[in-house]
Amino acid sequence: MGTFDELNAIFCKVFYDDDIKISRENTADDIEGWDSLSHLNLVVAIEKHFSIKFTNAEIAKWKNIGEMYDSLLLLIEKKGK
Amino acid sequence: MTPRFEIVNNQYNIAYYCTRHQCLKGNAEKTAFRWIDHKGERANYTFRQLDAESNKMANALLQLGIKKDDVVFTFLPKMPEQFFAFLGILKIQAIAGALFSNFGEEALADRLGDCRAKIVITKKSMLKKLLRALPLLDNLETILVVDGDENDEKIMSLPALLEKSSDSFEIPLTSPDTPSVLHYTSGSTGKPKGVQHVHKSILTQSYTAINVLTLNDEDVYWCTADQGWVTGISYGIIGPWSIGVTQVHYGGAYNAETWMKLLEEEGISKWYTAPTALRMLMREDKNMYKKFSLKKLQHIFSVGEPLNPEINAWAMDVWGKEVYDTWFQTETGSIMICNRPAIKVKHATMGKPVDIINAAIISDDGKPCLTGETGNLCIKAPWDSMFVDYLNNTGVYNEKIKNGYYYSGDLAFCDPEGYYHFVGRNDDVINTAGHLISPFEVESSLLEIPEIAESAVIGAPDDILFEKVVAFIRLKNGITWSDDLELKIRIFLSNRLSSIATPQDIRIIEEIPKNKSGKIMRRVLKAWYKGEDPGDISTMEI
Repeated sequence: MGTFDELNAIFCKVFYDDDIKISRENTADDIEGWDSLSHLNLVVAIEKHFSIKFTNAEIAKWKNIGEMYDSLLLLIEKKGK
Repeated sequence: MTPRFEIVNNQYNIAYYCTRHQCLKGNAEKTAFRWIDHKGERANYTFRQLDAESNKMANALLQLGIKKDDVVFTFLPKMPEQFFAFLGILKIQAIAGALFSNFGEEALADRLGDCRAKIVITKKSMLKKLLRALPLLDNLETILVVDGDENDEKIMSLPALLEKSSDSFEIPLTSPDTPSVLHYTSGSTGKPKGVQHVHKSILTQSYTAINVLTLNDEDVYWCTADQGWVTGISYGIIGPWSIGVTQVHYGGAYNAETWMKLLEEEGISKWYTAPTALRMLMREDKNMYKKFSLKKLQHIFSVGEPLNPEINAWAMDVWGKEVYDTWFQTETGSIMICNRPAIKVKHATMGKPVDIINAAIISDDGKPCLTGETGNLCIKAPWDSMFVDYLNNTGVYNEKIKNGYYYSGDLAFCDPEGYYHFVGRNDDVINTAGHLISPFEVESSLLEIPEIAESAVIGAPDDILFEKVVAFIRLKNGITWSDDLELKIRIFLSNRLSSIATPQDIRIIEEIPKNKSGKIMRRVLKAWYKGEDPGDISTMEI
């Protein structure tokens, strides 16, 4: 499973919906139930799954799932070094 | 020109005044609302279209066998179909309700089961949550999907049904006491209660839209409230449309710059929002606000929680505008007490009662309180937008009406100038970002998690939300607290109840403090949480 698919699986788990198919362009408006409060669950779930930690500045910059994914890849890369 | 509202030909139907009456008055081609979706796409709907679309909805519901007093709910995010459905339901004298789009399956089952709803109108992406609640909903006959092409016995495509429905509909003569809107609200004990309103509520809702929100024919008005909340119905639909005011409805999430851009570009003249939203805006860099010219914005109103004076000072600084605090409840149906342009504003107060109601501060033994003395905030019953019952809970309704006064559950005092000051609740209901949360509901859901032995939930002060939900948990023997378990609890509650009801803070505790009759001593937990002395704990079971 690639990292993007793993991210997709986390969305399914957090929003109780196995049919979610995320894309880079998706925003909170495209996923039912993704509001500022459930966003916290999502971030924690991603951090736990990949054993990484986003900074508040990183989180604040995301405008869509693509930007979230890019942040994630950078942290995974850093962790690997 | 200041609009007027008058009942014509003894017709009290809310939907009539929001649609047909506007067309007959010459507003047929006036914009009823500008819809802006989350991508910024815009579409205007005239009063003629609002009338026609809600007529089609009314005919479609009749075709499905829905009749007077049947309950039909929407489970939708903010979208045009929400408004067409609401008005269509009222046109056939059925009872209309709106569910928050972030409700989970348990929240849905509790509400739809209690009112025996026959139809729910939803969208494809939200269908799954509803289907999980379906086994508990024996009375639910049909689910209409606004963007689906399903067509079986239970789940039907709404567009397919509307295609066959006429856009003409004769609205039946509706008496003032015909049931209209059903809202669900949380109490400190038991399941959420259905607050039943009747069509004559329009009298007070239109009056306050004119005399408090100062809405007039030239206004472009934006009420940010979701239709799952009483404000979204009373002042996002009924009040403004009953007097022909153009609204803006926005379907995107909160974003400070987007909101400012919307206020500027749409030329919003009156804006009704919530203190939580204003507190979030306060966190932004002040320079951001310099990019936007809000010349057309005349008045800002706020509802849901007490407004901190810091917000007033900040709003005056960045926008040069006053923010008027308004107070009402699901049960009151319309604004009761407020600061407003017509009176001298007194910050950190609720303002003064609207001139068509009588408010009073009454002690627990039923006597009027003295000026400055804290007591129960009560409203002299009845008034036109007063609820008429708690569905299936008339006993609780009767407990709230004593000696001709409605007891709001809020504690307040009145100062020598006649301004009311909010002190707090006299029960354990949590007000988080304007949403009332029952600690009982959250505790019950927590107990469904196998690792949890006991739970207790309180509201604690919060800088943004006014109050936040805090859960105390005793784990079962042999269970160890971990980040994984915390995440599991959060995800479970978000999907079972709603993200709003999910605790912001979860504390593990060895024993939940209870009195000798087993009642959770939330007072003690609140004191512990705030690091204060819990006071008398002599009744605590040790």
